[in-house]
Amino acid sequence: MLKIQGVETGYGRLQILRGIDLHVPDGGIVALLGGNGTGKSTLLKAISGLLRVWSGSIEFNGKPIHNRRPNEIVKAGLVQVTQGKDSYPGLTVEENLKLGAHSRSDRAKIKEDLERIYEFFPILRERRKQMAGLLSGGQIQMLVIGRGLMAAPKMIMLDEPSAALAPLVVLDIFRQINKIRAELGTTILIVEQNVRMALLLAEYGYVIHDGRIHIEGNAADMIHDENVRHAYLGGTVVESAGEL
Amino acid sequence: MIVDFLVVGFSIGLVYAIVALGISLIYSGLDIVHFAHGEFVMFGAFFGLVLVNDSGLNYPISIFLAMIFAGLMGVFVERVFYRRLTSKGGGYTVAGMGMIICGFGMAIILQNVAFLIWGAEGHAIQVDFGTPLKIGTVNLPKSYLWILCVSVTLMAVLHFFLKHTKAGLAIRAVAANKDIAYLMGINVPLMISLIFGLACGLAAVGGVLIGPINYVQVEMGYLILIKAFAAAVVGGFGSLPGAILGGLMVGIFETLGAAYISGSHKDIYAFLLLIAVLVIKPTGLLGQLAKSKA
Repeated sequence: MLKIQGVETGYGRLQILRGIDLHVPDGGIVALLGGNGTGKSTLLKAISGLLRVWSGSIEFNGKPIHNRRPNEIVKAGLVQVTQGKDSYPGLTVEENLKLGAHSRSDRAKIKEDLERIYEFFPILRERRKQMAGLLSGGQIQMLVIGRGLMAAPKMIMLDEPSAALAPLVVLDIFRQINKIRAELGTTILIVEQNVRMALLLAEYGYVIHDGRIHIEGNAADMIHDENVRHAYLGGTVVESAGEL
Repeated sequence: MIVDFLVVGFSIGLVYAIVALGISLIYSGLDIVHFAHGEFVMFGAFFGLVLVNDSGLNYPISIFLAMIFAGLMGVFVERVFYRRLTSKGGGYTVAGMGMIICGFGMAIILQNVAFLIWGAEGHAIQVDFGTPLKIGTVNLPKSYLWILCVSVTLMAVLHFFLKHTKAGLAIRAVAANKDIAYLMGINVPLMISLIFGLACGLAAVGGVLIGPINYVQVEMGYLILIKAFAAAVVGGFGSLPGAILGGLMVGIFETLGAAYISGSHKDIYAFLLLIAVLVIKPTGLLGQLAKSKA
């Protein structure tokens, strides 16, 4: 469904991605892992059209989408679910959800989908008239996921859904993501720092390091891979807790 | 007497408020301060002048047409001239600074274009409003009634548009965060043009409304702009309710000052008010320190 080949890009003259190859199969769930500053967010920006691609290609559903406008990419059915902090705190919960459906014009269907989102996340229905800025961290994460689904996407890209959340809340969010995939059949690319959780959820994983894909493989194998933990933890500074 | 002055001040204040609304819309949507906005008031007034005096159209239709023309003109100016600068960022960036200078330049260009077309002479928009309305002891010229009706209707429509329509919601989203708006599938450049056109259309309505009372001439925009600017700052820059409140305060303050203190210093009262408000509440009356817009 999503096929990325040799993508290079960066900010100004500073190159961040040095040739990324990544493939997300139809209906699959793929994890992209990496620490801070490895290029995860940059890759997401390049895919969703916020950042120009210098070279390489990104194909979605067989059509090239690199360097198209973000709104056209959303219209094609590829939607980035932003981090929780990127909701609209000054708009109500319901307005946020309606914004997610901006690219659609089938009113009756939008209303149906809104109801379905409220069934997925009943707390959002309860708080739909409140400003999004008043929600808790977990609720905001539900809101941005729901907002992404309101676009009726073929595929969603989740940008660190576990960021800044308590472990129990993270578990809840990941359960919801699993449920979305099971019930809606949405293809998912999940970008995470929480390696273990992401690999438990995903079928296939990529580890990005310094703008390149460092390791890739089946999620089940990667969980036990020493190299993955190594790459993720960022090197050999501290090997065990005893050295601290 | 005081009631008459209050009515006049209130009406003039509404005109300032409409222009200030446009300034605030552009500021919250594009993060820039538009210094050529007064010239759109002036062009609107001239459009009204041509439509009413020369084409003999009736007043409300002329207001509407002037709004459309000025709106299209605003979209043109934004697309052709401002876009290159604003796409690099606004606010406190280098491009934002360039945008301020670009606005001044555009003001001079538009003034000269208007001068070439209509000359330097002042004209009044000639509308026969009929006899003044008499309520008790108050003699209310109907031109003020028109200002009242048109601007209040316009504000109500704007409020409905921003709060209850899909495009309005998209505009608020663009104003709050452009990148996220893009990810929602909103055509951000189109919305920016819409915001700009809307703001310029509002300015034009202000011009046509003030046309029958004041003279329409090429330099009229400057004074209205700085008053509307004062109104926007008094109310809190970027806040739409603030723009309306600020406009009314400036209008009333100015009219009462001219009536009871000194008529020849009419134009300084707005700025005395501005200084007083900024001393007491630097963010403006309804402004917020942190920029949580929309």
